[in-house]
This record gives sequence, structure tokens and C-alpha cells, in this order.
Amino acid sequence: MTSEEATQPVPANDFSGTIWAEVDRALSGITARPEAGVKDVIVHIPRDEVIAGLRRLKADAALHFDYLRCLSGIDREADGIEVVYHLYSTDKKHNLTVKTTLPMDDLNVATATTVWRGANWLERETAEMFGVRFTGHPDPRTLLMPEDMTDVHPLLKSHPLAEIEVLQGEGMGYPEEGA
Amino acid sequence: MVTERAREFDTQDLLINVGPQHPSTHGVFRMVLEVDGELVKDVIPYIGYLHRGAEKLCETMDYRQGIGFMDRTEYLAAFNAELSYVMAVEELAGLEVPERAQWIRMILCELNRLSSHFMFLGAFGVDTGVMGTPFIYGWREREMLIDLFEEISGDRMMYAYFRPGGLAWDVTRNFKERVREVIKSSAQGIKDFDGLFTENEIFVARTKGIGYISAEDAIDYGMSGPSIRASGVPLDVRRDEPYLKYSEVDFQVVTGQHGDVFDRYACRLQEMRESIKIIEQCLDKMADTGPIMPEKMPRMLRTPPGEVYMRTEAPRGEYGIYLVSNGGNRPYRLKVRSACLSNLQALKQMSVGLYVADAILVLGSIDIVLSEVDR
Amino acid sequence: MTTSLWGMDINVWANAAIRLQIIVLVMTVVVMGLIWAERRILGRFQQRIGPQKTGPFGLLQSVADAVKLVGKEDLRPKNADPWTFELAPFLVFIPIFMGFVVVPFIAGWNISVLELGLLYFVAISSVNIVGWVMAGWGSDNRYAMIGGLRAAAQSISYELPLVLSLVSVAMFAGTMNLDEMVRQQAAVPYIVWQPMAFAIFFIAALAELNRAPFDIPVGESEVVGGPFVEYSGIRWSMFMLAEYAGLFIMAIIGASVFLGGYIWPFGEELGRGWQLMLISAKAGLIIFVVFWIRASLPRLRIDQLMGYSWKVLLPLVLLQVLVNGLILVNGWSEVILGVTGLAGVVALVTITGRAANRPRSILARPAAVKVEAA
Repeated sequence: MTSEEATQPVPANDFSGTIWAEVDRALSGITARPEAGVKDVIVHIPRDEVIAGLRRLKADAALHFDYLRCLSGIDREADGIEVVYHLYSTDKKHNLTVKTTLPMDDLNVATATTVWRGANWLERETAEMFGVRFTGHPDPRTLLMPEDMTDVHPLLKSHPLAEIEVLQGEGMGYPEEGA
Repeated sequence: MVTERAREFDTQDLLINVGPQHPSTHGVFRMVLEVDGELVKDVIPYIGYLHRGAEKLCETMDYRQGIGFMDRTEYLAAFNAELSYVMAVEELAGLEVPERAQWIRMILCELNRLSSHFMFLGAFGVDTGVMGTPFIYGWREREMLIDLFEEISGDRMMYAYFRPGGLAWDVTRNFKERVREVIKSSAQGIKDFDGLFTENEIFVARTKGIGYISAEDAIDYGMSGPSIRASGVPLDVRRDEPYLKYSEVDFQVVTGQHGDVFDRYACRLQEMRESIKIIEQCLDKMADTGPIMPEKMPRMLRTPPGEVYMRTEAPRGEYGIYLVSNGGNRPYRLKVRSACLSNLQALKQMSVGLYVADAILVLGSIDIVLSEVDR
Repeated sequence: MTTSLWGMDINVWANAAIRLQIIVLVMTVVVMGLIWAERRILGRFQQRIGPQKTGPFGLLQSVADAVKLVGKEDLRPKNADPWTFELAPFLVFIPIFMGFVVVPFIAGWNISVLELGLLYFVAISSVNIVGWVMAGWGSDNRYAMIGGLRAAAQSISYELPLVLSLVSVAMFAGTMNLDEMVRQQAAVPYIVWQPMAFAIFFIAALAELNRAPFDIPVGESEVVGGPFVEYSGIRWSMFMLAEYAGLFIMAIIGASVFLGGYIWPFGEELGRGWQLMLISAKAGLIIFVVFWIRASLPRLRIDQLMGYSWKVLLPLVLLQVLVNGLILVNGWSEVILGVTGLAGVVALVTITGRAANRPRSILARPAAVKVEAA
């Protein structure tokens, strides 16, 4: 179960200028793997520990990630679905991205609404768009999709974009066609 | 134990369906109010009526084509939405934006903030029950701004003027004079609203003390923009993580103290004055001529694999673009972090226990744009 | 040759029928004019033009609207209570028109001079609330029901200050005959002696008529039109007709009771045409202020509205009645009346201002708040 892309080089120790040291300290006892992002440090935490890790990141006095900027998912196809949490600290003014990867055959992760109430709708959206189940979610209805449309997950790469894609796809610069 | 007599006086709560067609839901928003007489006991919001799958569509378009979709997610502040997107692409592709283009972007974004807030003031005035007057006042000023945008970008709402790397084309030659002219009229418009609302006893009596949300709750819900600043949280991406040239201009982050509807209104009004200050500084610092695109732009924009969460301060709060690239010329995944969506989550917390009329004001005060909520 | 019908001379019936025709015709025209005027005036306030294409200055716009409304289908929701729903417009419409019986337009032009004209007017003007509640209840629409109940609450609350402000004038005049009251004002209009009563009358009349800032029952942004949200076509236009007719009658009564009607300041010898101009000008002024307020003031909340009536207007007007009684019984000078009235106006403005500007208190939430799982 790895979310790491083969194309993404992860230098072993260039986290010196970042908050990774602090994060590492706060997450002691939790499996966490850093990755350099373009703007923010990315931390990978396994699914079972992610909520505990997030709670620890929020509670830690030096980090104090009290603000959930964004919660979303990425469909990595064979590698499963990544759930991404973008954290921010309103007083310390620093950012962190936390990721956890769910295998395609078991899309369950504990809800983050117990950490931030703001995760509620974001999780509902992620759930309906990717088919991820957030266990313990207080309000597991659909958000943007029709109420009875619980078997369609539009943002999965396996979900077709109907005929529109075909119509517009011709003449568009797909990578394989060359620039 | 309910006695027989008590049961006789047992009252039933009434469910009122507000929207999706209702004059004050600001679009196709629907909320079900559970009311006891005139008091709101529960609010159940329903969204998604305007979901167009912009995120999915962007995955099939190349980076430049995506700009148009961003305009349509946030049609009242399209420059701000575009900005987030093109900056995310630039960040991934490692493009350096010429200085003059950055100044122009900044001016246009702040002007767009003005026009968006004028729209808010007008619509909010109608929510409070003034028949049309504030709407026309707001519209008049917004019209001036939109005329300027049209001169520059060729479109009144969906500008598609920012491009990864810079701007689509240069601004008009009289740009500076025109901007000065327009902000002068906007300043007068702000003053008009001060007179129409801030000094109006009924408006003050209606808006003060309702729709309260504490700073802790606002942070917990992930609110942003004027809605959280009214609760006294000085959260402003422009100052905390300066992008463009915001570190070079002098402005104040306007915060309120009470976190009620009036403060959210007052924060916006004050923020408009700050925007005018920013624009004036930008005009002074901006060069009259200069490049607006990097000299070497690839014909087909490709980005290395990677991901970036680019956030900017749009009029309604933090507008974030989470862009994941797999290499190639299209986003692998694009997520729009909508400020309105997060702000709307707090609606229930803010409006339970108020009167029905106040629930409408609370909804108006967080200034939602449904196309941004639903995307 | 006299025949009698139901115990009355047939001529009496014919007379009444003709007068009724005149009321309805004149009022329809007046209401159309008022609607046109409101749209034009609001347009001016809002920097737009208003109706201008239909006829000269858009004067025929109301006629066009009326024709359109008459031609529209008369819809009734499936679940509406048929009788309540269909009768409600009449119960709103008829009492307003009955009020015209006693209105002293100009000398000798009222339909009928009643000795207790003022009493008749206040009695008949509050009947239409039954129609509002019926419309709200019968439509089987929750917005309509909330609107209807709001209308009932508001009307009952503001009936009292309205009546008492008229009573304080009646005490002073010593009569309830409206024509007589106007004639007494040949030298000095009653607003000089009873300024506070006029202010309260005006405020209460706004609330009675459901005009801004008291348009809570019909609040567009809250209850989407209130009791008549389900009405269309001719029935809806009856509500509109009643609303503007009510505005007109209130303005005429206000002008007659407080502003000296057709008589002040030129005396009784004035020609009829001039008298008509005078009363129209006075009523027009009141109507203009009503439109002006609509263009600039937000709507009050229902609890603020009720509080304002019961806690501010009612005590003040009761005090006025008391003071009037004291002065009249003791035979003190009228000047004292004017002075106390002015003091009352000052008190009214001060109290209103203080109520609006009191330091904010965050409303306490009831214990029943269901907060989401945290």
C-alpha cells in the first residue's frame, strides 16, 4: 500500500528548513513519512492512525493546526485513493498537508469531524465523489449529488465523462498527441 | 409524563422550505427551517443544485482551458478565482510572472473585490427589506467597475484574462486614469452605503447582536474571509502568506469584535476602503510599460509531476486551488476549495434560536455565491 | 309613486347604489394613479426611470397591468380551502371601501355624514384583518400562514395606538363627526395642538397598512408576499386595490383630522375645485412620505415591531389621553396641550433612538439548540 509515485523523487533529508522536525516530534509513535511538496510539506500517515495523528497535530502547542483548509481526495487508480487534509494554524501561520492512502477494495477511513467540525461537508463531498466511507460521520448524506445517487462516484477516473469528452477530446492537446 | 391537558396544548413545529426558488437565497440554495412560531429551531441546508462538475471537467482540459471554468465557479469575483488557478499552475510549472503583470493582477483583483462587495451590499440591503434602493446603489457602482473590466478583458463577468505566466494581453493605454476614475466613484458609493445603512437606526437594530459565532467556532468550521474576520480572527491570506505584491503595499486587516451580522457587514464595508488604498498604492508603484508575459513561454504548457495547494484571498474568503499534476498538460486532479462552502457550514450554528427574518439576514451576511459552493 | 323595498323607499336604494358606483369607479382610478405614482417616485429615489413607455409618462401602465390581471387565470391551489380562499379578497376589499362612506373629501362631498364617523371608520378599518388571516389560512401555504398570523398580530397591536391617537383628537374636538372636526380646524389645524398624536397616528397607520418599515406580513425577502402568495389574477388585484385604497383613505383621514382637511388655511368659502386641490395636496404629502419611507428604511423584525407598539407607542398615547383629559376638565389653555404634545414628540424620538442604539446583546439561545456532534 504505497501512495508514493515513482516519478516523485523524495530526497531523504532536505526538510531542514521546514516544520517537519516539529511535526515529527508531535507525531512520535505514529507512522509518518515526509515528502517535499511545492509549497507545503506533505506527511503520509497510514489510514488507521491518521485521525490520531491529526488530533495530535491540532493539540500540539507548538504546531496548533486548528484550521482545516481543505479536505479532498485523489484517485490514484491502481494505487488507491488518497485523502488529503490541508492544515493551517491561525496563530502560528504555517501549513501542512497530511495524506492517507486507502486501497481501492477497502475505502474506509475514520471521520475527521471529531477533530474539526468544518470537515463535515468536505467529507460528505469526498465521500460521494470518490466512494470513500468516512466511518463515524454524523451526517452521511450526499452533499452535491442527488440524494438517491449513492452508487455513482463522478470524480473517480473510472467514471466516464459521457459523450462530451469525446466531442471535445478531438483536437485537444492530449499528451500522447504531442504539443 | 405528558398529562392529558398538556397534550392539548402540544404544539407542532412547522417545517418551512426556503428555496431553491426564494427571493433571498441568492441563487439556488435551499434550506429547510424548522420553526416554532417565529423562532428557528433547526436549519437543514441543501446544496448541489448548481453542481456542474467543474473539477472533473478541468481534468479533461489543458491548463489554459481551465481558466474559463474557474471564472464560472465564482462569477462575482472571477478575477480572484482565475488568479488562484493560474498561480497554482505557475507554481507547478515554475513560471516567473513579470512584475508589471503582477501589479495589474493585483489591481484587477482588488477592483473585483470592490464590485463583489457592492453586490453584497445591494443584496443584503434587499434582505433587510429596503425596497430596491440599496440594490440600485450597489449596481450603479458595480456597473462602473464592470465597464472597466469590459474595456480591459472584453467581457463583463467571465473575464478569462489571466493566463499562466501573466496576462492575455496588455491593458488599455488609459488604464491608470480609468482606474483612478472608477475608484473615486466607488469611494463615493461606499460613503452612500454608510449613510444608507450604517447610520440607519432600523438597520442597526436589525443586524446587531444576531447571527453570532465565536472565534473558536468560526475557526473550527473553517470559515474564512470577512465572515471569520468579523469574529475577531485576523485571518487574511494576503497578509499571512503574501502573494503577488501584497507584501509591498500597506493595508490593514479589518476585524470585528462581536461576530454578528452587523460586524460582518461593517467588515466588508471597511475592507472596501482598504481595497481602494491598495489600488492607489498599486497605481503609484506600477510601471507604465513593460512585459506582461515571460519571454519564453512554451507553446504547450506542461507541468512536472507534483501538487500544490494555492490559496488566495477572494472577496468571500480563502479561494484555494488544489492542483495535482501527473506531468503533461492537464491537471490530474483539481479541487476547488470554496470559501462559501465552509462558511455555509456554520449557518446552522449561527441561525438556530433566531427569528425567521433574522435567519434570512444571517444567510445574507455570509454572502454566498452558489456557483462557488456547488462548483 | 313610491315603492318600497325591504321597508325602505326605493329611491334610498337607488341613491345608495349610485353612490357605491361612484366610490368604486373613483377609487379604481385613484388606486391606478397611486400605483403609477409609487412606481415613478420610487424610480426617482432609486435613480431609475420607472414606467414611461405606456401612454404619456407611463400613465397607462397601471391600466395595462389591470387589464393583464383581469385576463389572468384565477388559480386556486389544490389543497386550498375553497371558501376561505375565495372569500378572503372580498373581506379585505369591502371593509376598506366601506370606510369611504364617512371620508370628508370636501365640504358636502362625503357619501354620508355620520355623527360617530370616526368610530365607524376605526371600526370598519380593522375588519379587513379577518380577510388577511383567511387568505393566509386558506391558501394552504406556510409562507401565507406565517404572513397571515403576522398580519393579525401586527394589526391588533397597532389598532390601539391608532385609535387612541384619534381619540385624543376627538376629546379635544368634542365630536366624532369627521365633517365637524374639519370645520373646527378653520383657524388652526389639530396637528399644532396634538403633534404627538399625529406622529403616532402616522406610525400606526403605516403598520395598519402593512407599509414599510412595517411590511412584515408581506415581507418579500422573508415570506415572499405573505398571505397573497398563492393568489393570481383578479383576486390578487383585489388585494392590491385594497392596499392602495387603504393608503388613500388613511391619508385623507390623516389630512382631515390633523392637517385641517379642505378648510385650513383658506377657510370655508373656497371654491370646490380649490378645496379638492387642497385636500389632495395634503393627502398627497402624506402618501409621498409613505413612499419615501419605503424607499429608504429596512423592515423591522416582528418582536421589535410588537415591542415598539406596546412599550413605546401605547404608553405615550395613553399619557396623551390622560393629559388631554386633565387639561380639558380643568379648562386650562390650549397652549399647554401643544407644549405637552411637542414634549411627547421629543420623548418619542428619544425613546426610539435609544431603543435602536442600545448596546448590542447577543441573543440568548434556547436550550433546545441541537449542536452538531463535535
